Amino acid sequence: MADILTAVVVAVYFLLMIGIGIWASKKIKTTEDYLVAGRSLGFWVFVLLMIGTVCSGMSLLGVSGLGYRAGWPTIWEQIFVPLSIGFCVIFFGVKLHNVAKSAGYITVQDYLAHRYQSPTALRSLAAVAGIIVSLIYLVGQYTAIAIVLMWLFAIPLWLALVIATVVTMIYTTIGGLYAVAWASLIQSIILIVGIFVMAPIIIYYAGGFTHINEVMASVNPNLVMPWMPTGAFAPAYIVSFAIMLMVGLACAPHVINNVLAIKDVKYFKWAPLAAFIIYGIAMFLLKFSGFAGLVMVKEGVFTLPTVSNATDFVILYGIQYSLPIMALWAIFAVIVLAAVMSTTDRLMLTIGAMGSWDLYKKILKPDASDKNVLLLSKILVVLSAVGTMVLAINPPEALASLIWMGIGIMLSTFAVPLLAGLYWRGATREGALASMALGLASALVFGALNYFKITLCGYNFATIPVHFSFYPLIISVVVMVVVSMITKKTDTKILDETQTGWYISKQ
Amino acid sequence: MFGLPDITIAVVGFVVIVSFAALLYWGLTFKGHD
Repeated sequence: MADILTAVVVAVYFLLMIGIGIWASKKIKTTEDYLVAGRSLGFWVFVLLMIGTVCSGMSLLGVSGLGYRAGWPTIWEQIFVPLSIGFCVIFFGVKLHNVAKSAGYITVQDYLAHRYQSPTALRSLAAVAGIIVSLIYLVGQYTAIAIVLMWLFAIPLWLALVIATVVTMIYTTIGGLYAVAWASLIQSIILIVGIFVMAPIIIYYAGGFTHINEVMASVNPNLVMPWMPTGAFAPAYIVSFAIMLMVGLACAPHVINNVLAIKDVKYFKWAPLAAFIIYGIAMFLLKFSGFAGLVMVKEGVFTLPTVSNATDFVILYGIQYSLPIMALWAIFAVIVLAAVMSTTDRLMLTIGAMGSWDLYKKILKPDASDKNVLLLSKILVVLSAVGTMVLAINPPEALASLIWMGIGIMLSTFAVPLLAGLYWRGATREGALASMALGLASALVFGALNYFKITLCGYNFATIPVHFSFYPLIISVVVMVVVSMITKKTDTKILDETQTGWYISKQ
Repeated sequence: MFGLPDITIAVVGFVVIVSFAALLYWGLTFKGHD
């Protein structure tokens, strides 16, 4: 499918990203520069970094693919994912940023170690849990990159994965968060402008918004309802789904660590609304593109490929048939790559930070030099990229379900220790440890039971009425409350230092 | 409207408007310092 022009467009994009990495590498003198960009991010760089971090492979391929499969009942994803940025800034960002600036936090694990007076146990558990969930999430991202490159260049999966991995790895390894943030700025602009231009064309080509809805209603009336009558996307599922997306993404290590890098807390004032409007409109347009793809398939405009994850290709085929100009496909491929890579780079850097800073510098070798920590960060970025590339060789059936699994595990592991740590003075170290450990373990168990459709004691876990992460979240809450109530309280001095209490911002 | 049932427009529209209003309120009331 590719011609020389297509290859040139994609190559220029890749070279631009590597160029940003080289430019950013000149600004890096210390580990703090590498991992939190010297706490220097301005308003728009921060807003677009947050959008770029949250907007992943799922956002373009999975969102439209899900819209194709289940219609309007999935629209809640388009509201609660953009809201996750606001939730992160408001409920985590303001306090964490203020405390981080004075205490010198590099990662959110620094906060947990300080707040819960647990420099080793909780820090290492949080870091290991963060690395596990980031790796699961990364596999989904690499799968998305591979889908695009395979579609555009008709190359084998392994080659697509190698190309995607090498480019992302180069600029992230050499440029750290400076490179990730500035790459995200450009990636997010490409992404937003691209969606705003191309999605209306697909919708128009499919016959317009009203026609699309009418065709969907004729296929299945439930596709135009706000929820399904039973099963996935019934009202109970949607509530658990909303919590999973909004809170789970907000406390995901690769998202929450961004709040430590902002230059001034005043940028938190309008960042939630700006991100909600920009990203919300883009996400709605993407979903409508998936609906348009369904109509085009039903009306015989195109057929999806005969692969296990066929619905994830719907927006690519929609573009191909709505815009029969190959150069535009290349531009769209760059848009998708931008979306995926803006999350992938941040995830790799987060794994590097948790391994080098939290596990190596803070636990294994406290006297390690800054130079060695920086070097280890870079080595871990490379290892995480190569490791997940290998895992992504067998793509999952549907991209969205794998990525949701990652978010669900993040929710069950981090939400309760973080929220209780920031807002409840009664939360103790033992409560946080038990809550995080059981949250992670039960999420892995429930996730596996649900994903592999296992029947246990006569109950089929594929048919649970809520998202699987809801049960581990409840377990995590109960464990935190019960264990905290029977264990030794945290020092008042620490609680004051970490601004713990029932307020977001002291007036 | 738009080929959609009224309930879809009402429910989705309501949640979007409430979300927008909540974030607008945050922006108007946040003092920007601790």
